Amino acid sequence: MRRVLRIYRRSLGAHLRAVLEYEADFWILVVAGLLFQVLNLVFLSAVFAHVPALNGWSYPEAVLLAGTFGFINGLGPLFFEGTWRLARRINHGELDYPLVRPVNVPVQVISGGIGMHGFGDVVGGGAMIGWGLANAGIEWTPVKIVGGLVMLVSSATILLSLIVIGNAVSFWVGGPHPVFAMTLIRTADMAKYPITIYGVAVRAAFTVLVPYAFISFFPATWVLDKEHSWIGLLTPLMAAYCVWLARTVFRAGLRRYDSAGH
Amino acid sequence: MKPYLGLLRMSARRVLAYRMSSVILWIGGATFLAGSLAVWHALLADGDIGGYDWDRMKAYLLVGWATGALGSAYGDWWMANRILDGHVATDLTKPLDYQWARFSEHMGGLATEFIAIAVAATAVMALTDGLPLPGPGQALLFVLSFLMVAPLKFAIAYITTMVCFWTQNFMGVSWAKDAIVTLFSGALIPLALLPAWLAGPASVLPFASITATPAAIFLEQATGWEALRLLAVQAAWVVALWWGARLIWRRALRALTVHGG
Repeated sequence: MRRVLRIYRRSLGAHLRAVLEYEADFWILVVAGLLFQVLNLVFLSAVFAHVPALNGWSYPEAVLLAGTFGFINGLGPLFFEGTWRLARRINHGELDYPLVRPVNVPVQVISGGIGMHGFGDVVGGGAMIGWGLANAGIEWTPVKIVGGLVMLVSSATILLSLIVIGNAVSFWVGGPHPVFAMTLIRTADMAKYPITIYGVAVRAAFTVLVPYAFISFFPATWVLDKEHSWIGLLTPLMAAYCVWLARTVFRAGLRRYDSAGH
Repeated sequence: MKPYLGLLRMSARRVLAYRMSSVILWIGGATFLAGSLAVWHALLADGDIGGYDWDRMKAYLLVGWATGALGSAYGDWWMANRILDGHVATDLTKPLDYQWARFSEHMGGLATEFIAIAVAATAVMALTDGLPLPGPGQALLFVLSFLMVAPLKFAIAYITTMVCFWTQNFMGVSWAKDAIVTLFSGALIPLALLPAWLAGPASVLPFASITATPAAIFLEQATGWEALRLLAVQAAWVVALWWGARLIWRRALRALTVHGG
């Protein structure tokens, strides 16, 4: 395990150095990531200038929710960007290279790139979390601080697992673009608002079928002591399940890989 | 004319060759539309916001989504990658006008989009008890303004991809463009609801012609001379950006570096 982590760190570090060579590109990506968080904030502030609450969520609470989602979303490009290149590698038969190296294949795939727009998302989302927490009138207890942190880690684990699962589906779908993963992760965007605004079918699907609601909604309801907040406590369990599922799907896909002929 | 039609046909075929990808992308687009409908349904539950009730907002969101979807799937990444790969060098050797050639390809890429937009419009009408529809004259103006969105979005995308002559990566540029267009076109939220410091620039930038103009005509907020004025502004932007792109192109060519061959 230590060896795997070390290789992950070194591979990611190599990509980071490569990206930093192009300074203009780096800044454009960071600003682009930040702009999207600003967009979320503009939307919420424009809307809340006209209404006091969105389905029982006040402005600071909604900012906290959207910020959490943005923050966790930014971790994908920063730490799992290589996963998005899996479809292309399968399509071009380039997965042969990781397969013949004496290192765990998923680690080589996951650390195969770094997206600096994640940096903008993390900074923008983080600022929104900070502002939301300070203004939502939360009564802090030690349990809440520890629980909140555990949930943040669990939520991140869930989203990163979904990225792996979505991209591993490329083993079956084919084509050079990870369209399934793009759709899977884009749909997650719906979870940046309180999921109570959606119909029963969507709520059920987001809780049980694809656990988008555990990425930001249930953890936030727990921290804010809202209705059904106990479901937030299931987040770590859901995270463990997602990790297991991602591992299983990736392995099954890898067994199916048949290169592309050169 | 003939080679350009050939390019148009080829790019339409390319879209149709990756049917599965298109379908999955459209499902993604549909969930986005459903999401924004749900958000606004909840927001409007307690009454109007800035003159928009649920019926009008539904129509606004549908027009906004459709204008956003037009030409978004292919075009710009295709153009950007040719510049980044250096393939643009072979394009330059062809006896075609580069901008017209890319425009033809862009229009060919719209092949599936009108179908998808029709499907989405039908679904919204069926699932949310209809839409307020404009009268026949107004509908004609709306169609004109909607069709003008295609060349307008092409010009903006074309100018954006030319940034690739100076940078090595298109993703950040494309996202920054998307963010700016989403905000200032009115696709994020109707421009009337924006705070004044954002509504001001939005009214003088070309992006309002992408979403705000077709939506205002569809919702009959702009009728008669006002509608014609908005159409004229749209047309003026198409022409201005088209010729502006030519100027930038001339400069960009000087920055072109292609390694190896």
